[in-house]
Amino acid sequence: MSEQFYYFLQQILNGVTIGSTYALIAIGYTMVYGIIGMINFAHGEVYMIGSYAAFFVLAGLAMLGIDSLVLLLIAAFALSIMITSAYGWSIERVAYRPLRGGNRLIPLISAIGMSIFLQNFVRLAQGSRDIAMPSLITGGWTIGPADAFNVTLSYMQVVIFVVTFISMTVLTAFISKSKMGRACRACAEDIGMANLLGINTNKVISITFVIGAALAAVAGVLLSMYYGVINPYLGFMAGLKAFTAAVLGGIGSIPGAVLGGLILGITEAITAGYFSSEYKDVVSFGLLCFVLLFMPTGILGKPEVEKV
Amino acid sequence: MNKWTKTAAGVAVSIALLGSSALANAADTIKIAMAGPVTGPVAQYGDMQFTGGNAAIEMINKAGGINGKQLEAVIYDDACDPKQAVAVANKIVNDGAQYVLGHLCSSATQPASDIYEDEGILLITAASTSPEITGRGYELVFRTIGLDSDQGPTAAKYIVEHVKPKKVAVIHDKQQYGEGIASSVKVGLEAANVPVVAFEGITAGDKDFSAIIAKLKKLDVDFVYYGGYHPELGLLLRQSKEKGLDATFMGPEGVGNKDISSIAGEASEGLLVTLPKKYDLDPANKAVVDHIVAKGEDATGPFVWTGYAAIQAMAQGMKAGKEDPFELAEYLRGNVAKTVMGDLQWDSKGDLKGFEFGVFTWHKDGTSTQNQ
Repeated sequence: MSEQFYYFLQQILNGVTIGSTYALIAIGYTMVYGIIGMINFAHGEVYMIGSYAAFFVLAGLAMLGIDSLVLLLIAAFALSIMITSAYGWSIERVAYRPLRGGNRLIPLISAIGMSIFLQNFVRLAQGSRDIAMPSLITGGWTIGPADAFNVTLSYMQVVIFVVTFISMTVLTAFISKSKMGRACRACAEDIGMANLLGINTNKVISITFVIGAALAAVAGVLLSMYYGVINPYLGFMAGLKAFTAAVLGGIGSIPGAVLGGLILGITEAITAGYFSSEYKDVVSFGLLCFVLLFMPTGILGKPEVEKV
Repeated sequence: MNKWTKTAAGVAVSIALLGSSALANAADTIKIAMAGPVTGPVAQYGDMQFTGGNAAIEMINKAGGINGKQLEAVIYDDACDPKQAVAVANKIVNDGAQYVLGHLCSSATQPASDIYEDEGILLITAASTSPEITGRGYELVFRTIGLDSDQGPTAAKYIVEHVKPKKVAVIHDKQQYGEGIASSVKVGLEAANVPVVAFEGITAGDKDFSAIIAKLKKLDVDFVYYGGYHPELGLLLRQSKEKGLDATFMGPEGVGNKDISSIAGEASEGLLVTLPKKYDLDPANKAVVDHIVAKGEDATGPFVWTGYAAIQAMAQGMKAGKEDPFELAEYLRGNVAKTVMGDLQWDSKGDLKGFEFGVFTWHKDGTSTQNQ
């Protein structure tokens, strides 16, 4: 196989890695939009809090002298998901629920305010310096010739693929099979009607925020271990990209968010790999404009029917 | 009285109050504004400058101040952001300071210096190395550090004479400082017929550089020059090691920070950095080092010393009776300032005469050793 092929494969793997994490964060945007028709701009910050939670769990356990990898990973995921979900739940209670039912712009402003608040809260509490994380999972595979260009796939990248895949499968099963999932779908279809039929819509909305935050926490744990650096500002760019992924795939659609994330990640990697990394954001946002021109609701989005 | 005249009267009263409070302060203290990032990703560099500036002011005050007056430092946070720098500059004007130490990032210093020049405020930057800052014919802008246009050739010369790479890639962060210095290195290398096979920008704040690293690996580069700051280079180093890119990296003084070793770990060993000389190792500066260490602060950063020297230069001029910013500027251009960096002299643009960078090898424990 030629060098060109290996190079292409490497860029696809890079793109899928970054795309997987965009997808995990994008789910939070798309689920909230699907149910209450609001963009939760504080979601990027929730992801950042997930990263910090992971750091504290890992640092805390390391201080206690625990060095079993499996135990560390389980603890990091479990505690980070719990802490971040608590944030997701509280954000909805504090910043959005009191404003629900009013003009749609009001919760949007509240979300931006929440985002600024969380960013500065973490900055003041933890300082604005980059915090370096220990890399728990090191090493990887090399595919291809040893003396020419070869493809590297780290174990951490594989962990990212696997964990993303498992999270998505669990979420899909939850939405399509469980009672609560059915209630979620009902609310997404018509929240007023769902309320009349005896569904506790407040609870459904809270659950939506908790699920979004939990997936953001998973992304936070994975990415902070993969890149090894966290700071209070990382939520902004990640949130923006994930929001783009959600819109690209069709906001409100869960498979759309995954597809959008992967397309965005692969587009960025291919542009940086074959053209120039200076233009990767230009190309990915250009692609977004292009898709929206022909499919205004995104790739998998359903055209919105005005509810009377 | 209608609503608008009431508002106008209120504003007038508050301006008058502000003015009077500024006058009351001016009598016994001389206010020096220190502007730079207190927050944000490059706040460590701000800390260095503030450590140096504060130490200088404290030691000058302890030695009797300026002709009986005490210096007073006021810190302003621009987060290294051009927009905030403008807001900070306006605030400094309103607060009535006439001297500024700062700003730190070139992209922040440049817009802020427009305001200072208009308002008759003297600026000495301890860290901004972009040539444009002093290249606009401003009367009140000085610096106690070299220029990108000095640092670039120093780096290029070292690469050509000592590293002798086969294929070089030059990467930058698309910001004024990073791209400026990267371009100057590229020009230097091309003039010496060293092949620069890639010249590309990355986005500051990005975390994933796997695509560009794969590209460099495919191009088979053995040397990478990075123009920018440490958070991105730290990640580039770390990810390059993971992806098996076998190349030597080099960066300007903006990457010379202990944090790069905590971000990149092992991968930071052997990084080359152009830095100002290590003034903290100079025996003549022992008293200053002791003063800083006694406060529990770090005396090793480069901008500690450039910041200290900037305050010393201002103080020397003020002691000679040149408290007016324009007279002080004239004094600095015409005299030799005795500072912790040695004797400093400025040219007509406000740049130092004969400032030299050294090339250092960085180690994974955050220390560095000088190569030449």
